Amino acid sequence: MTYDASTRRDGQTIGRKTADRTFWGRLSSWGPYHALMRLVTASPRRQFLILAALPVLWVLTQHLGPMLQMLRVSLTDAYPVAPGVEQSFTFDNYMRFFGDSIFWMPFFRTLTFAAVFTFCTLIITYPVAYFLARHVSRRNQMLMLLLLLIPFWVGEIVRTYAIMILLGNTGAVNLVLRFFGLIDRPIPFMYTSFSMGVGIVYLTALYMLLPLYSALEKLPKSLNEAAADLGAGAWTRFRRVTLPMTIEGISSGCTLVFLISTGFYATPVLLGGPSTTVFAETIAGFFHVAGDQWPTGAAFATIMFLAALIITGAFQKLMNMLRKGDTK
Amino acid sequence: MTKLIYNRRRFLGTAAATGALLASPAYLRRASAQSGGEVNIWTYNDFVPEAFKEQFEAETGIKVNVRLVDDQGKQFNLLAAEQPNPTVDIMTVAGHRFLQFIDSELLAPLDTDRLSNWGNINPTFSESDWSTINGNKWGAPILSGMEVLSYNTDYVTEEEALTWDTLFSEKYKGQTAYIIQDMMSIVMLMKGYDGNMVAYMDDPEKAAAIVEEAKNFLIEHKSLVRKYYDGGAEFQQMMVNQDIVLGHSWNGPAAALINDGFPLAMTIPREGSYGFVYTYNIANNAPNVDNAYTFLDAILASPEIGAAMTKASGFISTYKGADQYLTELERKSTSFPEEQLANLQFFRAEANDMKYKLVDPAVEAVKAA
Amino acid sequence: MNRGNRIFLSCFYWAFVLYVFVPLLLMVLMGFKDSNFIGFPIRSWTLDWYTGVFNDAEVLSTFGYSIAIAVLSTLVSVFVGTWIAVLLQGRSFLGRTAIFGLTVLPALVPGIISAIAFRIYARWLGIEPGMGAIVWAHAVHNVPFVALVVMARLSTLPKSQIEAARDLGADPFIAFSRITLPYLVPAILGASIFCLLLSFDDFVRSFFLGGYEPTLPVLIFAKLRSGMSPEINAIATVALILTAVIGIWAERFTRRANKESDA
Repeated sequence: MTYDASTRRDGQTIGRKTADRTFWGRLSSWGPYHALMRLVTASPRRQFLILAALPVLWVLTQHLGPMLQMLRVSLTDAYPVAPGVEQSFTFDNYMRFFGDSIFWMPFFRTLTFAAVFTFCTLIITYPVAYFLARHVSRRNQMLMLLLLLIPFWVGEIVRTYAIMILLGNTGAVNLVLRFFGLIDRPIPFMYTSFSMGVGIVYLTALYMLLPLYSALEKLPKSLNEAAADLGAGAWTRFRRVTLPMTIEGISSGCTLVFLISTGFYATPVLLGGPSTTVFAETIAGFFHVAGDQWPTGAAFATIMFLAALIITGAFQKLMNMLRKGDTK
Repeated sequence: MTKLIYNRRRFLGTAAATGALLASPAYLRRASAQSGGEVNIWTYNDFVPEAFKEQFEAETGIKVNVRLVDDQGKQFNLLAAEQPNPTVDIMTVAGHRFLQFIDSELLAPLDTDRLSNWGNINPTFSESDWSTINGNKWGAPILSGMEVLSYNTDYVTEEEALTWDTLFSEKYKGQTAYIIQDMMSIVMLMKGYDGNMVAYMDDPEKAAAIVEEAKNFLIEHKSLVRKYYDGGAEFQQMMVNQDIVLGHSWNGPAAALINDGFPLAMTIPREGSYGFVYTYNIANNAPNVDNAYTFLDAILASPEIGAAMTKASGFISTYKGADQYLTELERKSTSFPEEQLANLQFFRAEANDMKYKLVDPAVEAVKAA
Repeated sequence: MNRGNRIFLSCFYWAFVLYVFVPLLLMVLMGFKDSNFIGFPIRSWTLDWYTGVFNDAEVLSTFGYSIAIAVLSTLVSVFVGTWIAVLLQGRSFLGRTAIFGLTVLPALVPGIISAIAFRIYARWLGIEPGMGAIVWAHAVHNVPFVALVVMARLSTLPKSQIEAARDLGADPFIAFSRITLPYLVPAILGASIFCLLLSFDDFVRSFFLGGYEPTLPVLIFAKLRSGMSPEINAIATVALILTAVIGIWAERFTRRANKESDA
């Protein structure tokens, strides 16, 4: 970058010729722009306000707004409002969850599944991210990453049906196993927690891969080399150098995947079985039937959301403690 | 209303034909078709035959906008979210869901005097008792569906399929599937009760006890079932993948499999079963009411159109004489022996409020057990 | 790292790639099946489904519609997301955690809930269902991802560079445009690709907020009602190939552009 001596803070310009040639030079010496900048930077406070205006407004109206509306609906007793019906404020929808134990099973099951599948996703994608960040040349990293991204351009539904064809009784896996004479009756993979897991990990792998990859990519190779010089074996190097330094990546990846996993609806419904009902299904049920169940659905969704937030909050705290503990 | 002549096209060729007929992409077409106005329809895939739609547009200048919905609940949600000014003119409500829509004032009564082709519908459907509520008709019946027992003929005999009990037998453990909510009604029927619950409208305690009994039955037999499903496509895939060989399904998806040459057959078991009817309805405060009636009258014009709907969806047409235009195989997949049809009743809407208040939690309980 | 570990990792990576691609291969394969349903065994083959996709004006226009929505919503979410990231990564202020939490919020809410919430909200605001509503919903949903990615990148920008620019007389906007922004380009590009993908793939928001023109996932879901057919597989395959081609071309393009700018 060339130092453009044509503009100085006191507003005086010298050497106009060079100034006129670059776009930025011309812009900064343009009257209206200059005046605008003066206005904006009049005080640090004003500058901050202008910077913050759009984000804060956006976040409050677009992010919070719909959620507040959903919260409002969850506290009413009828929505949409049928003509001639009075809408009133009530906690009943929330009480319904706490009062009826049949909802607790899918609720805790969902949280458990989410945790287990998050862990599985972590175990599966960490080596992949490691390989990408360390053993692939910089040039090819983007391409390899893109390669893995491509399948995610296929819709969730089509991919899920493809998994059915993979795991079904006359699916690819069973056909191959029978062809090699390893089994004579098909193994019922489908409609179990296994098939559901295959589908969910498939969907969340990307969300875990990217944070892990970016965390691993930033690791200076020198640290590992230094540890090796000091006599540490491969596993020790990993455990005491690489792993602790990627805790942040692990943490954000797991949080994201956990939260998203609690919300999956289509894949568990299509790939799961009678014993794997997830809470999202319960919630969706309230929106699928009669109109006056929306508030209950909204309430249940809020409960699930809050529970997931609490768990991930606790997890984050744990990770932070681990991180701090390690630097002792 | 002039009778529109329906030209037959090969199902596969429809896509190509559509491409040939349309000179420009959809969004450009909309901009230019201002002359006759438009009509907005929400319906299931293939319920409006493509060729019919093109001819209608060509002959009347009215642009037909079809939005595909895939279940009744979603349709209700969408419509409710649009009140009081819906964007839709014609919807496809299943007959036994009428009350839910009517109570929320989402439908307008159907003025059958404006439909000169109303008489083309088989009176079994158009004049049946579920179709008249508060003295009005609320929809034009177009396709009829039923809950059937479908089985893979390579593995299950017709004998076995004549009773619902086979679905809960040890022999087919892990090879069956059903829709829980529909099954609740059928189990009640199996046990000799009224699955529509109309008979117990004045006796809520008895109703609750019956639902409890049905629920416990399903929970008892939960270990035998392979999958609880919701959509026809899931059922079809399970059959094709041979993950199941026997199951409860709607006749539409099963017929589609049969038409494709899959070794499948259906029965209405001797304990009985329920049927439902899809209807075209006019929305309350619809933006293009006149065009809606024009469209309805046109689509009811000939049995060939009814046959086209059957070919595409697998459900049975309500038009008189539609089966003449079906192939041998299609006729086979959309008809049942007389003695089985005698066991069929229609779903009724009167007790739905009470019924679903009891059944829905029961369904949750079965899923959670 | 010794050879043994390397080989193990390499095998693991390619096993993962296999896991990710095999279902796709099956999808492509099924598009050739001469039947109305997918599944093994495939008794006869046909090209009709694939050729049908290119002849089907409805599918093609739906594809274009989905792409248009993806591009528009990505533009919005990248703009807003980057702005938010710059705010959050700057100096600390009261309520920063709250704003951060709110920023991330849309990503955490389950799809169907979010979609219905938006539908209700849209009605309250008077937004008609249709392309605008979908673009809006997608943009809002994608902002968290943009913000997170850009924030991560931004945190590695040495503050000294900005300070140097300011000392040399640049005002904040110029400093941002000439130093920060170019530095953020990789992150912004990565976030854009992610957003395009999320938007293109989205079903539930497009369904509830769409009008009479379906997006590709909505169309597929509607066709699904008549059964998962080779037609749907063919459509998905063609969409996949087209987007893969665009993606790879984009990667090549940015790689070349980066090379030039580094020179």
